[in-house]
Amino acid sequence: MSHEDRLMEHEYDGIREYDNPTPGWWHAIFIGTVLFSIVYFTFWHFSPMAYSVHEAHEAAVTREFKRLFADLGELNPDETTLLSVTADERWRAVASGVYTANCAQCHGQRGEGLVGPNLTDDNYKWVKRVEDVYTVVANGAAAGAMPAWDRRLSTNEMILVSSYVARLRGQNLSGPRGPEGDAIPPWPSVEGNTP
Amino acid sequence: MSEPGSTDRGLADGAGQAGTVEAFVYDDAIVRKFMLATIVWGLVATLVGLILAVQLALPALNLGLPWLTFGRLRPLHTNAAIFAFAGNAIFAAIYYSTQRLCKARMFSDLLSTLHFWGWQLIIVAAALTLPLGITQSKEYAELEWPIDLAIAVVWVGFFGVNFFGTLARRRERHMYVALWFYIATIVTVALLHVFNNLWVPVGVMHWIKSGEMPSAELLLKSYPVYAGVQDAFMQWWYGHNAVAFFLTTPFLGLMYYFMPKAANRPVFSYRLSIVHFWSLVFIYIWAGPHHLHYTALPAWASSLGMLFSLMLWMPSWGGGINGLLTLRGAWNKVTTDPVLKFFVVGITFYMMATFEGPMLSIKSVNALSHYTDWTIAHVHSGALGWNGFMTFGMIYWLAPRLFRAELWSKRLATAHFWTGTVGILLYVISMYTAGITQGLMWRAFDETGRLAYPDFAETVARLMPFYWIRVAGGLLFIAGFVMMAVNVLMTWKARPAVYEDAVQHAPRLTRDYQDEPPPPPRLTNVIAAGHAIDRFMQGSWHRRWERLPLRFTVWVVIAVVVASLFEILPTFLIRSNVPTIASVRPYTPLELAGRDIYVAEGCYNCHSQMIRPIFAETKRYGEYSKPGEFVYDRPFQWGSRRIGPDLARVGGKQSHLWHLLHFENPQQLVPQSVMPRYPWLLEHEIDFEGIQARVDAMAMLGVPYGEAVRRAPAMAREQAAHIASELVQQGGPEGMETKKVIALIAYLQRLGTDISRDPEEGATP
Repeated sequence: MSHEDRLMEHEYDGIREYDNPTPGWWHAIFIGTVLFSIVYFTFWHFSPMAYSVHEAHEAAVTREFKRLFADLGELNPDETTLLSVTADERWRAVASGVYTANCAQCHGQRGEGLVGPNLTDDNYKWVKRVEDVYTVVANGAAAGAMPAWDRRLSTNEMILVSSYVARLRGQNLSGPRGPEGDAIPPWPSVEGNTP
Repeated sequence: MSEPGSTDRGLADGAGQAGTVEAFVYDDAIVRKFMLATIVWGLVATLVGLILAVQLALPALNLGLPWLTFGRLRPLHTNAAIFAFAGNAIFAAIYYSTQRLCKARMFSDLLSTLHFWGWQLIIVAAALTLPLGITQSKEYAELEWPIDLAIAVVWVGFFGVNFFGTLARRRERHMYVALWFYIATIVTVALLHVFNNLWVPVGVMHWIKSGEMPSAELLLKSYPVYAGVQDAFMQWWYGHNAVAFFLTTPFLGLMYYFMPKAANRPVFSYRLSIVHFWSLVFIYIWAGPHHLHYTALPAWASSLGMLFSLMLWMPSWGGGINGLLTLRGAWNKVTTDPVLKFFVVGITFYMMATFEGPMLSIKSVNALSHYTDWTIAHVHSGALGWNGFMTFGMIYWLAPRLFRAELWSKRLATAHFWTGTVGILLYVISMYTAGITQGLMWRAFDETGRLAYPDFAETVARLMPFYWIRVAGGLLFIAGFVMMAVNVLMTWKARPAVYEDAVQHAPRLTRDYQDEPPPPPRLTNVIAAGHAIDRFMQGSWHRRWERLPLRFTVWVVIAVVVASLFEILPTFLIRSNVPTIASVRPYTPLELAGRDIYVAEGCYNCHSQMIRPIFAETKRYGEYSKPGEFVYDRPFQWGSRRIGPDLARVGGKQSHLWHLLHFENPQQLVPQSVMPRYPWLLEHEIDFEGIQARVDAMAMLGVPYGEAVRRAPAMAREQAAHIASELVQQGGPEGMETKKVIALIAYLQRLGTDISRDPEEGATP
């Protein structure tokens, strides 16, 4: 293009300017982005086929919940369920994810206790029967030292993580806090309740 | 045909006799001052940046001092880089080039001096207040209200008047494109600064009302007039356009002057400069909401932010190609001239960053990149590459001319170029990798459908190697900077005993100017409208504007204001944008005091409070954030980076005791944490009496407080005693009821909990 260059008449402190046209590809892309924007906005904000990020999110939540728990159904926090459900490797994996995300900060990565009590020994402060583990998880305990999780986790997640916690018992890992509360009798034996 | 509007006359044509030749001298002393300040503050800004970079890998580096924590220092780094380093650089560029492009000395030497010292004082005030935790917490607008006022006076009253006064007295009829960019910079930054910094000063209002002198902390404290979604919107309207009109337009002006000067080549295209100037000025303003994708901002605003960012791609590149193509036929000079090397790489970084910007503003890309180090990589390719290298190129070109001595060492300048380039590359590549790594880890699920990395600390620990590479990159960049400082110092030492300023001569402008005749019609056989369009396309009207600075400025203001109002008005006026939630109540007096501690400590620099409606995110943090949850948030605390986890729903997630121990030493609970220790929160006392002023200021802004407007301190003491007793029951220490940590815990335990409360439950404090 250089042979066509024509200088403008003006000059500022020795600076000159060419009279070159704006490059064609520049115009093409610029106009392209404008047209795309018109189409995008019209579609996403005026067309009946558009959906919002919130609708997409709800759909993902439902889809994932179904995918995750379809085989499990709606669990009940009863003794048998709590003692057996995480014997299955798949549900133990899900439960350990819930534990790591929500419980490990206070009870330690392996349940050995930190700010919260050790979960691997036979001593419990608020638990007499295994169902009480679920109650403590759902409603909290000790003046909020143990938060209530019923507004953060689904019932299935709370049951899975309670089951996971119940099955941490007996490892007697050494933690910073020592035993707290009373030693309680071992969990009853139910089908599938093998470590 | 000339028909100067009466309003334009004074600026366009200085009154006086026709064409009298006048003698004058350029003021280079002021340029030398600004250049020196650029170097000094640039070193400060980058060194603070280096400290912060090391702190992320070694959090103990704050040495246990409150003033050196990441949350307090990071605003100092960003403000110093933007307003002190880049600010002084553009003032040097503008004071040098404007005089020459206008063939006139600056309007007033007094204003030049006031501008220089006023600006340096503002920087010193920032460097003192930010580490003390005196902050408004809005990114790049952290400085508290007295400094805001000083900025307005210095920017408009000293700098603006001086610049436009020089335009009015110019001896060059038409304004060169660099001056257009300077005009856009000055008027738009003034608008942005004023409208993002509307506040109620807490202590001053209390003083007026009660007659008692408040504490210094309260005296400097202010609350914004905007709350929640609207505050976020205004902040990112400002934040995005501060990048546009403080770090882009003045540097484009700088490029348009110094690039053709250094290359000794004409600018590639005058037409392109017109087209990209106006499209840039008009489109940039709309793009701010792309900082708030997937947040509680209304969807239409988010879409506009994305689309205008896409449309901004070519207007931004217009400047880049006009700069690079100016080198056509002179590329051989780049191999030998360090100035051109810096300019070429600077412009290349500009073009990369302005391609990346639109890309990051695409919602689905942003879903991954937002809150990660990708943003940090992006801003540093802009700040180090574009602003840094354009400044360095300018300084190497200016130093010999200002000090009237040959540059001490061209080889050292070339070494600076290579060191700096490698430094930037290490910096940005490590941060791209870190950002994408963290973004992918946050959203990763394993085959059982659970988060693959449920422990946030794990995603932080993974970044450590990249943080060390960044430190290395930053060190190289600073090493290059030091080389330049030495080079300039040695050049200065070779200066003559007295600077002999050359006397310039130019005729005064006369009033009887005739515009060049409009171009001949290029079309035949078309209707009149066709000819009108053809004339418009040929742009002779613009040529006329170029000699009418007032008219030009008015059009710039119209472009900027109209674009702003299209987004601002609906955000403020349409109620459905922020649906109210009945159970959301104002913060209690103690929580409010705790919130102000959160703000002062700069927690928002590492923690967001905005859960996006994205599955991986609600899985990790809980229900996504709703606009109505933030109606009492002044200022909003959504944050822009997750060095730590989101806190929007942290309330009730841990016990009081956990928080207390975590503030005392985060690593004792989360071994991989990079959060600094905050032991002073367990020692410093809450100023209970001062809480009344805070509540009153909020009430004045329309927060519906009940009994708190009469007895805020007593209510705060009651709540503090309650939390302290729960803390003891949980096994915590006694005697915490008057300590700052209790207020902060009260605030944190409240966060995100209103939404799940029964609307009938509890009363308005």
